[in-house]
Amino acid sequence: MNFVESRNLQFEYIKYDDETDEKTAVKALKGVDINIAKGEFVAVLGRNGSGKSTFAKLINGLNIPTDGILYVRGLDASKEENIWDIRQNVGMVFQNPDNQIIATIVEEDVAFGPENLGMKPSEIVKNVDMALKAVSMEEFRNAAPAYLSGGQKQRVAIAGILAMKPECIILDEPTAMLDPLGRRDVMETVTMLNKEEGITIILITHYMEEAALADRIIVMDNGRVAMEGTPREIFSRVEEMKALHLDVPQITELSHIINKSVNSFPSDILNIEEFTDAFKYYGWNKAFHHKKENASPKYNKPILEVKGLTHIYGKETAFEKVAIRDIDLTVGQGDFIGLIGHTGSGKSTLIQHFNALVRADEGEVYFKGKNILEDKAGLKYIRQKIGLVFQYPEYQIFETTIYDEVAYGPKNCGLSADEVDTRVKEALAFVGIGEDLYKKSPFDLSGGQKRRVAIAGVLAMKPEILVLDEPMAGLDPYGRDEILGNIKRMHDDLGITVILVSHSMEDIAAIADKILVMNKGSIAMYDTVDNVFREPERLTAMGLNAPQLTLLFKRLKDELGLDIPVNVYDVEEAAKILISALKE
Amino acid sequence: MNITLGQYYPVDSIIHRLDARAKILATIIYITAVFCAKGVIGYGLCIGFLALVIVLCKVPFKLMLRSLKSIIFIIIFTVALNMLFIRTGREVFSLGFIRITTGGILTAVKLCIRLIILIMGSSILTLVTTPIALTEGIERLLRPFKKIGVPSHEIAMMMSIALRFIPTLIEELDKIKKAQMARGADFDTGGLVKKAKAMIPLLVPLFVSAFRRADELAMAMEARCYRGDINRTKMRELVYGRGDFYALGIVTALTICVIALRIIL
Repeated sequence: MNFVESRNLQFEYIKYDDETDEKTAVKALKGVDINIAKGEFVAVLGRNGSGKSTFAKLINGLNIPTDGILYVRGLDASKEENIWDIRQNVGMVFQNPDNQIIATIVEEDVAFGPENLGMKPSEIVKNVDMALKAVSMEEFRNAAPAYLSGGQKQRVAIAGILAMKPECIILDEPTAMLDPLGRRDVMETVTMLNKEEGITIILITHYMEEAALADRIIVMDNGRVAMEGTPREIFSRVEEMKALHLDVPQITELSHIINKSVNSFPSDILNIEEFTDAFKYYGWNKAFHHKKENASPKYNKPILEVKGLTHIYGKETAFEKVAIRDIDLTVGQGDFIGLIGHTGSGKSTLIQHFNALVRADEGEVYFKGKNILEDKAGLKYIRQKIGLVFQYPEYQIFETTIYDEVAYGPKNCGLSADEVDTRVKEALAFVGIGEDLYKKSPFDLSGGQKRRVAIAGVLAMKPEILVLDEPMAGLDPYGRDEILGNIKRMHDDLGITVILVSHSMEDIAAIADKILVMNKGSIAMYDTVDNVFREPERLTAMGLNAPQLTLLFKRLKDELGLDIPVNVYDVEEAAKILISALKE
Repeated sequence: MNITLGQYYPVDSIIHRLDARAKILATIIYITAVFCAKGVIGYGLCIGFLALVIVLCKVPFKLMLRSLKSIIFIIIFTVALNMLFIRTGREVFSLGFIRITTGGILTAVKLCIRLIILIMGSSILTLVTTPIALTEGIERLLRPFKKIGVPSHEIAMMMSIALRFIPTLIEELDKIKKAQMARGADFDTGGLVKKAKAMIPLLVPLFVSAFRRADELAMAMEARCYRGDINRTKMRELVYGRGDFYALGIVTALTICVIALRIIL
């Protein structure tokens, strides 16, 4: 018998509308047949609202099926008396590390599950030791979770499940809120648990590179299973995936495009190693067509200047920490700057100085040549001109209607009612929120829509510089593309100078002109996209990465001695270059 | 952000290793002693005991002094009040209606000492005991009252979750405040009504977030098989050791001495 077996599994919940007092039944799952074998590593993909999380919660007994059959470990999951047995053997790790850690000390938190199961104290100690060791967090056993990084917190959460000795772990977007290093650590832990401990893994994710590590992928759409197969099978169906608003790894897409022109080239390559091997096997003959590397950065008139900026948290206390040290930086008018750096590198602290939300211990910030703290027009003017969109901006929403939410900023600027109205409408139209939604509550929107409303709230202030702190975090591929497209248009069409903080090197490469790399509170690099990604080793050492395509091209160049550039960030363009040389 | 008030200071000391119940009980007994103290010897004993604990617990003295910072106004206020209104003993100073007497000064000094050792004594409890151990200690001490309907486990669980989430929510509030400031919000100027209105953009998101977190936390706890204290065990079950009895013995002896001194003198 399979570990998980479902037949025509259905789940519906009641949605309550405040305004109309209407209750409607929403079908989240509309008949799902899934089998998962013991020891298997399954990735579940699907856009937001496709039913992935609902399915996961059913397996763990957090939801009870409305209809259909669900067996977990041979136990009927629709029967109340089996729930505890199931939960004990199927652990679940959630997206937000902060909201699943219960205790104030790491080891106490890991012990929480075993304590609930009524294990003997000696056994709990043993299990906690084992679990912390498995996720390489032994040295933090007495630490307070508040002082850990996101990746470390997620590993503590995994340890908390492991200590219960489960047969299966479900992870619901465990890396959505993490930086590249944290993501890597969590994925290594998960893969190790599957391969070495034989634990069944069900991984829900929006990252295609993570899904590629699984034995099998299940793609869900609209409450049903849309596709099922090995990563190789699934990702080679590029068009189908895109139609479902999903993505495929860049490498796979590249091989798929090449395959269309050169039919005998494999179309289902999953990673860089395989690609290099395939290329080696295939051989090449002609000279490569490619653009010349463009090394000189374009120079724009300075709009924002930072001089000798230092910020220390908790000065003269036991918790003193230098967040940024002696930062010098010039941003040109019309620049599009990608800001990258590991968690705690000082990115967020730095950008909060740009509009004087925090005061520096040393150093100044100048907007158009004037010190922002001494500008006669005042702080309100500065904050209007330098817009800042925080991480998860939808968490700052408070108004009762979408219109009022966006109007909050312009109203604070003291504009006339007419001007406020024009700006709200312009901003909402720009992010693609229609007039029919103006009077709706922003809390009723989907995650991606909420975020666009929140961004519109800053855009409506007509900033000349817009700083966005990870605006794509936690969204599905479709939502990510939408936001990214909006930002690009703000830069290209509205002429706004953009500083974009992101953990996605692919996004940064595709959209930015320059990259600012922060490391341990200092600027490690500030150069053109090409020059920064030219040295992937340096980035890796800082807990970062280069885009997949860059890594591939660098490998082809170094290992096979191909005469190709490494500054290629677009799949179509990469395909064109490689096709030009492959043997017919 | 001041996070040291009543925060655990992680070092290893004899005091740290004591059972949380013993520490809570000892603190209560000690407070009784301080309230009963009279005369130089009585106060001397209390201060001496406090000094001994301070040395033994290895927490930097500077950190303890910081806990006094928050009550400095209360101290000044009580001292001033006592000096002004107690009029016994010899007059030391007078100006208009202000008359300061030896009796007033003496009472003020006594009160001041009492307040300081009270605050320091109780802040030591939270400096040397993890919040979790503290709540567990309270749970265990309340357990006998469970029969008369005191939900000791639930109280302890709520306390520990509150402790866990206070820093998170403070951080969140700071973030929301900055985000609204970035949208031109002004929290500092204007009258009372305007200021109260300005709080809405802070409080609504904070509550929404707190509820969302509560919801997710409840789910995570359920997923880890939490169902109240049914069949629940503890990784570190509290066990009284020899040291705990010594500690309780010493502090009880101190209190008896202080009370005896009060009666005799």
